[in-house]
Amino acid sequence: MSQIQERGSTHVYKVNKISKEEMESMVARCVYEQPPFCSAACPLKLDVRAMLKAAAGGNFKKALQLYEKIAPFPLILSQGCEAPCEGKCRLGEIGDGLAIREVERAVARYGEQSRLGSVFRSAKRQKIAILGSGLFTLLLAGELEKKAYPVTVFCEESDEEAYLRTAAPFLDEEAFALELRRLKGKEIRFECSCRLDAAFYEQHKASFDVLCASDEVRAKLFPDSAPIPELMICEAERLVSGPTRGVLDAAFGAKKAALTVDRLAQKLDPRNTRGQEGPTDSLLYTDLSEAKALRRVAVPAGGYTKEQAMEEAGRCIQCHCEECLKSCAYLKHYKKHPGLLAREIYNNTQIIMGDHQLNKPMNACSLCGQCTVVCPNGFDMARVCHLARQNMVSTDKMPLAPHEFALLDMLFSNGNAFLARPQPGFASCRYVFFPGCQAAAIAPETVRAAYEDLCSRLEGGVALMLGCCGAIADWAGRTEMAQQAHELLDRELARLGDPIVIAGCPSCAKELREHGVKELRGIWDVLEEIGLPEGVHKLERPMALHDSCGARGDAATQASIRRLAASLGVRLTDTPYSGDRSPCCGYGGLTAYANREVAGEMTEQCLERSDEPYLSYCMACRDRFARQGRESRHLLELVYGTDAGAPPDISEKRWNRLTLKRSLLRELWGEESMEDKLNFELNYTAEARRMMDERMILTDDVIAVLEDFRASGEAIEDEDGLLVARRRVGNATFWVKFSRTDGGYLVHRAWSHRMNVVKREG
Amino acid sequence: MAIEKNYYTIDPQGKLKCVKCGVPLVKGKAKFMYLDNGFPVELPVCPVCGFVYVPEELALGKVASVERALEDK
Ligand code: SF4
Ligand code: SF4
Ligand SMILES: [Zn+2]
Repeated sequence: MSQIQERGSTHVYKVNKISKEEMESMVARCVYEQPPFCSAACPLKLDVRAMLKAAAGGNFKKALQLYEKIAPFPLILSQGCEAPCEGKCRLGEIGDGLAIREVERAVARYGEQSRLGSVFRSAKRQKIAILGSGLFTLLLAGELEKKAYPVTVFCEESDEEAYLRTAAPFLDEEAFALELRRLKGKEIRFECSCRLDAAFYEQHKASFDVLCASDEVRAKLFPDSAPIPELMICEAERLVSGPTRGVLDAAFGAKKAALTVDRLAQKLDPRNTRGQEGPTDSLLYTDLSEAKALRRVAVPAGGYTKEQAMEEAGRCIQCHCEECLKSCAYLKHYKKHPGLLAREIYNNTQIIMGDHQLNKPMNACSLCGQCTVVCPNGFDMARVCHLARQNMVSTDKMPLAPHEFALLDMLFSNGNAFLARPQPGFASCRYVFFPGCQAAAIAPETVRAAYEDLCSRLEGGVALMLGCCGAIADWAGRTEMAQQAHELLDRELARLGDPIVIAGCPSCAKELREHGVKELRGIWDVLEEIGLPEGVHKLERPMALHDSCGARGDAATQASIRRLAASLGVRLTDTPYSGDRSPCCGYGGLTAYANREVAGEMTEQCLERSDEPYLSYCMACRDRFARQGRESRHLLELVYGTDAGAPPDISEKRWNRLTLKRSLLRELWGEESMEDKLNFELNYTAEARRMMDERMILTDDVIAVLEDFRASGEAIEDEDGLLVARRRVGNATFWVKFSRTDGGYLVHRAWSHRMNVVKREG
Repeated sequence: MAIEKNYYTIDPQGKLKCVKCGVPLVKGKAKFMYLDNGFPVELPVCPVCGFVYVPEELALGKVASVERALEDK
């Protein structure tokens, strides 16, 4: 019996298959975290999207909190801002862009002011002076007050009211009154009626840690100074100042200046660690296909009412890229965009000691490549997960449990169930038919019919090869095992005289091509060329075609399948997400083994697209849809008029492969194979059979337990008089609960665990 | 002497019998081992031949969850 070595938990840390830089460049392809276009255009980086969302929901208090983050005087900014955001709103491409500034005005008016200047805020030590008036100085004072600096404004005006008037002459009376109240509520000290000349400056200089000035005062004091606009500083004079133009520019200037003050106060170089400042171009992707082209809500003379503001804000489509999350059940399950998930999965591979909490998501991706097609930037989650798996295997951190059953299944396909024979009567052949392990497991009669057909109609002999292409090990990240599978196939192909491979499954075709098999065709290509077999039934029925993820990016195969289906009389109903955008059935990437829940959601997602019976050209898809209770057929079943019927359980899948091999050996090559006959009768309750399938317990495992019991007599008897025996097989212990029957046993229940249990002395 | 910690205890209460030895199982000392970790437990054990019984609920419950936790270490 095949066995795979279980890892220990204390192995040495080995190689890394992917560098941090490589990962970061992969992660950067996901634009999910890019700001929306409006915010990107805003030099103050207002979270427009969030503010509009709050306003649309009538939560003006929250909306104002968001707005105040960038606007210490919200009415001033909202009445005077030039609003470059509006021109970038994506809704402007189909209708009117959002009236962002008008909503801001309403927010400033209707939102409750948040009490930032609370008594508990501990003030900073460094004292700041601002000399002069004008909007820049007002906004700078507001920014610095927000940062908890003790600020003193020296101005020529007679009082705060006059100062505010100079700074924001454009405010209407209502707004002026509100902003004056706001200004008085802030912890900003005023020294009015000052003569701001050189003598004044010299006199006060020493009392402050950082000095700032309006551009007018700066020009008066230091006519030759040269302010650096990006930093708002005259470096030689250590004076924070600079010219600004217009309301938004004054706000942006104040923001830059406040950061510079912050750096200077902390005795740091104002040039360092400033982050990205000013407007940018967003790379975000927004799907506008379902957005409505609407006019903006008309603005009455006094600005929006609450209701109008809510209505206008409600037009915001909340730009987010969700292309992949819309189409992939896996990403939907983990509710994370791939950029984030990929980073977490990469970090997971870097853990040497401790929990690998991302193992589950890493192993739940079906590696199907759908995201790469639907993502506007071609994000490749499959590569991230595949590399991460390989990495975990190579550092000996990959648990065996999630994939062991599948890997053993592969070893079975390429061991006991493997077959490679030239067509009877041929020493070497021109072709070899490779149906794939799933076809033999799920639809053995279809495989037989296809092989017989190919033998009878192709010149030069058609060999047969039953086995696994290695995709299973490849998906599991077990490169060495995949390599072994490829070597076996290479050896056997050479023995058959290197025939042209006719693949029955697009995933096998892909795997074999990637591993160097040069001459390869799909059975669909061959059938198109030689025509359908004689006497094929025309079906005249509608079906939904499910494209295989193995055929993603393979337009020729997709087209060929469609032509064949049409020539069989099938009317294909169109589904969204077909062709290259097709989702995975849940089998790919071993999701069905590693994470049944996600695999189930994948299958559901496939089946949601149509109510018609499903037609597929990969046997695994056919099987998963049938298991879900949908009428499901493989194209070859229609071609050969076979019906694989109800989906087999895991034991029947093995049995089907073995039986196909044995019966073909006997009928075509006249070889009898040894059959391991049981010398007792074995029956299962329906409950036991269902349980075994779900728990991945094979009839072979049950037989091993019972044979052991027959030899040792070891078992226990429970209260109901049922017997329970056990046996360690490979990395698991199997338990079988059974009763005796006339000629043998009836199995009632079965379970297993991987931990080994032993008696302990003392 | 330190008191030994048992991660899990099941007392068969005379309800289970060893078929080979014909005696009831008793609560006995056993150990689960997995990926270089060991856990002392008390399970139904045959006092004569030492057969240790792992009931279905234990295998699918506690044992399975500990396995998963260790696998992701
Ligand atoms: S489709 Fe998905 S992976 Fe691509 S950019 Fe959008 S959120 Fe990121
Ligand atoms: S729709 Fe909303 S999030 Fe998108 S650009 Fe316009 S305002 Fe910004
Ligand atoms: Zn005993």
